[in-house]
Amino acid sequence: MKILVAVKRVVDYNVKVRCKTDGSDVDVANVKMSMNPFDEIAVEEAVRLKEAGKASEIVVASLGVKQCEETLRTALAMGADRAIHVETDTELQPLAVAKLLKALADKEQPQLVILGKQAIDDDANQTGQMLAALMNAPQGTFASKVELAGDKVNVTREIDGGLETVSLSLPAIVTTDLRLNEPRYVKLPNIMAAKKKPLDKTTPAELGVDAAPRLKTLKVAEPPVRKAGIKVASVAELVAKLKNEAKVI
Amino acid sequence: MSILVIAEHDNGSLKAATLNTVTAAQKIGGDIHVLVAGHNAAAAAQAAAQIAGVAKVLLADAAHLGHQLAENVTPVVVELARGYSHVLAPATTHGKNLLPRVAALLDVAQISDVIAVESADTFVRPIYAGNVIATVQSSDAIKLMTVRTTAFDAAATGGSATVESIGAGSDAGKSSFVSQELTKSSRPELGAAKIIVSGGRALASSEQFHGVLEPLADKLGAAIGASRAAVDAGYAPNDYQVGQTGKIVAPQLYLAVGISGAIQHLAGMKDSKVIVAINKDEEAPIFQVADYGLVADLFTAVPELIAELNK
Amino acid sequence: MSYRAPVADIRFVLNELAGLNEVGALPGYEDVNPELADAILEEAAKLAENVIAPLNKVGDQHGNKLSDGIVTTAPGFKSAYQQFSENGWVSLRTPTEFGGQGMPALIAMATEEMWCAANVAFSLCPLLTLGAFEALEHHASDELKATYLPKMASGEWTGTMNLTEPQAGSDLAQVRAKAVPVGDGTYKISGQKIFITWGEHDMVENIVHLVLARLPDAPAGVKGISLFVVPKYLVNADGSLGERNDVSCVSLEHKLGIHASPTCVMSYGDKGGAIGYLVGEAHRGLGYMFTMMNQARLGVGIEGMAIAERAYQQAVAYAKDRVQSRELGSDNPAPAAIIKHADIRRMLMTMKSQIEAQRALTYYAGAALDRAARHPDAAEKQKWQAVVNFLIPIVKGWNTEQVNEITSLGVQIHGGMGFIEETGAAQHLRDARITAIYEGTTGIQAMDLVGRKTASEQGRTARALLAEVEAVAAQLKTQGLAEVGDALDAALVHARASTDFVVGQFEAQPKAVAAGSVPFLKLMGIVLGGWQLGRAALVAKQKLADGDADSAFLEAKLITARFFAVHLLPQVGGLSAAILHGADTVLALPEEAF
Repeated sequence: MKILVAVKRVVDYNVKVRCKTDGSDVDVANVKMSMNPFDEIAVEEAVRLKEAGKASEIVVASLGVKQCEETLRTALAMGADRAIHVETDTELQPLAVAKLLKALADKEQPQLVILGKQAIDDDANQTGQMLAALMNAPQGTFASKVELAGDKVNVTREIDGGLETVSLSLPAIVTTDLRLNEPRYVKLPNIMAAKKKPLDKTTPAELGVDAAPRLKTLKVAEPPVRKAGIKVASVAELVAKLKNEAKVI
Repeated sequence: MSILVIAEHDNGSLKAATLNTVTAAQKIGGDIHVLVAGHNAAAAAQAAAQIAGVAKVLLADAAHLGHQLAENVTPVVVELARGYSHVLAPATTHGKNLLPRVAALLDVAQISDVIAVESADTFVRPIYAGNVIATVQSSDAIKLMTVRTTAFDAAATGGSATVESIGAGSDAGKSSFVSQELTKSSRPELGAAKIIVSGGRALASSEQFHGVLEPLADKLGAAIGASRAAVDAGYAPNDYQVGQTGKIVAPQLYLAVGISGAIQHLAGMKDSKVIVAINKDEEAPIFQVADYGLVADLFTAVPELIAELNK
Repeated sequence: MSYRAPVADIRFVLNELAGLNEVGALPGYEDVNPELADAILEEAAKLAENVIAPLNKVGDQHGNKLSDGIVTTAPGFKSAYQQFSENGWVSLRTPTEFGGQGMPALIAMATEEMWCAANVAFSLCPLLTLGAFEALEHHASDELKATYLPKMASGEWTGTMNLTEPQAGSDLAQVRAKAVPVGDGTYKISGQKIFITWGEHDMVENIVHLVLARLPDAPAGVKGISLFVVPKYLVNADGSLGERNDVSCVSLEHKLGIHASPTCVMSYGDKGGAIGYLVGEAHRGLGYMFTMMNQARLGVGIEGMAIAERAYQQAVAYAKDRVQSRELGSDNPAPAAIIKHADIRRMLMTMKSQIEAQRALTYYAGAALDRAARHPDAAEKQKWQAVVNFLIPIVKGWNTEQVNEITSLGVQIHGGMGFIEETGAAQHLRDARITAIYEGTTGIQAMDLVGRKTASEQGRTARALLAEVEAVAAQLKTQGLAEVGDALDAALVHARASTDFVVGQFEAQPKAVAAGSVPFLKLMGIVLGGWQLGRAALVAKQKLADGDADSAFLEAKLITARFFAVHLLPQVGGLSAAILHGADTVLALPEEAF
């Protein structure tokens, strides 16, 4: 069984991002970039399925600028077999990514596609669901457990208030939640070996996909800073503030 | 303009998230219709009909919609959506699961986690885990979006919309529900909790630490933490310790009860979204970082707080 | 306080100052390039930050427990070590024929910096293993190599160095441990060894001890010491573990720092003699140990620089967080973060500029080590070997002397909180203290520098390096960086005069030179550190002119070089005075007057 995994290169989760002074976008020049943490979980899950003898090949894909190659090399070092880089400098939004991945899936014919549930930059949480729709395939989003059973996959999903398990016919799309697994640290020899694994290049044009963005970002801003605290006079006032002003209970 | 709101419900009842989403729809303006897709969901549809400002409730009721699987609900929404300018769902796990699937089939973008409506085509949403707030504009004919429920007040009830049954499509046959396991009200882990109730040395004994804080934590579904002073004094176990040498936490709400606020403690919780301090010493450093401070004796304030929350 | 590996600065030093590309051009390093180095650095950083660094405080608090000869390490150490070794980090620089990765020292050192900064006590275990590995690789028989090296490279077995005895510290001529031939080619080893780092622990199944001992017929002194392999468990012919050998840990030292590293008193032969195997030839053990000395001393130099980095990161975080007193000259009456206060800045810059200078000089020495080992041209090889030899006592001595000052500044920036253990700043100060002592104290490094490394070659390498400093100073002046260039020029005058004094007087008045040897070592550290920061400034200036996007990083390089030029380089004048004229008062006071 072949698994396709999509990985995104994002600003490292430790970086405190800043907005450009003109508010046009987030300033990501020279900040540390890493694989989206949810996508690391996706790669890890695929590798574990392969190690368990349930998958035969893992193809990993990344879409975007040239440096996505580094992200793909990391995935290869984790255990993916080969990589496909759809290279473009265009800003890719989830719908475009889903269409590009659909085009790759048409070629590769994977039985399972695993993606992170969301990228920690745009926090969209859309691509897996969109890809499932375009492939007319079922989706197991926010997965905390994935079990292959014949021509089906059982996915336990983290939903509000608990867990839900669904059974999906293959091919299917799974998006990962944090508790699905804990990604491994890469073994040093695998870093060297990853340099020798195949990495194919293509472009949105070659795949016949119009990847133009649909949403326009008008401005970005940092959220208002914490206001100076206040003293409340009574428990009743405290509860009212927490409910109506802070909206945390 | 007319707006379709996807209801959050469990067939038997309507979830509060729907009310917040209707408010977001009202900010856009236009006729608001609510879709209830489920099985034996008439009660949920009736509840939706009572939301003030809702013009019509559409009920798609069929066995294959019982568990609201995205594969089966999507065709129903896609079919309806073409008649609306906007389709809104709450940014719950259900809404997030469903709406992008609909968007892809309509070949439109989806806007996630909207926290404010600027105009009919311009919306505000957090990115980078809320560290950046983006204003985005959609050029699509139908605007699909999920709405962060905490950003909008609940719509009032008291309306009387009509409930109209609509076609429910058929079972896509690609997925099936197996089981559901809802979390029991056991206390969450300190590191993952959305709310933390944390106690300090002012609790004065292990019995009082647990006796005073546990009912409050249970009421709030909160984890319990402690200052180092409370741990060192033996009032709380080691793994409760919040601070530089204990756990670093950043919950939505951090309630510091009888904690003075040593630097080491502040280092472990200062990134919490909202900090509440209850302390009888009004000079306690904890008040410098607290969003809401209550100068009071914790042994009277905490039981009062539980009573107030029970109202 | 969490640790973030300074990958950007390490990358800059590797690529722009140490010559990673040139190292990659050496025979056998064809796969080595900046991209591979990046991938290795990123993965090392993840492991250091997320797995090893979080154990630093735990290890400090728990230390190790000895019970019935078993040493139990602090919670989390065993699993972290397993992850570390299974992922191949022990063998990054060991040769591929024994299962290593065969990477150059330059890249390995960059990862070693991260392990040391994350948790120096932890880092000593693989460091000692590596030292033992190299001793065996260079001097042991093929049979011993085949038995021990693959398991040590994989990290399944760790290694130790057993040199010191209660009466034999810096002076190893006094070693008394005995080795008696059994007749079957093996030896019975007996005696007590002290200060054995990671001599016993529960992280692996076997420990390979390298032990210095005397054969019955050995001549007295340093020429009568042989080197033996003494495994904790004997190894069967099929490679499986056999009987427990007659060696045990009888006590753990209570130390000022590096609590998580078990410092063992090892007893050999309590039950008749531990089985040992001779490494190389009899009576040549001390010489074999010295072949690894360069690597080991460079390793301790890295420890000093790395702990300094960790202390600096913690100080910066605190200085940004802690709010005290209003900012001078500001209209805002509210108390400000202390990083706004001038003296806090001065302390932070003192830390930062020295750390960056040390990192550059240390990695420059690492690249020189690789060039000396692999350069195809014999003259080049020789030249780089001389550079390595000269730089090692400086890197070891200067980095580790300064880390005491730098970690102390780290405590100072924390104010009273720095004196409180819970804050964590004090641990770095305590952990750092040993680095200027072990692997040869600063005094021993300084004597090595003035004697073997300077006087005995008539100052050839010293003068060659100072000529390079002069060339950089000249370039700085043409590039609008005269402040740095002039400061280097002024320092050069003192450095040359001091070098002339060392070369000229070493024979005639050795004790006078010795009296100024540590000042000479520090002087060289400052001048050569300033040289590296000057080179960094030239690179930064050029890149800024080329429109490189990372302007904040590059501008910081310029400011750091200028700070060092104004605050550190002038110290060279004072040191030079002490070197040239200081011996008399060092030695004048009669012993009874002390």
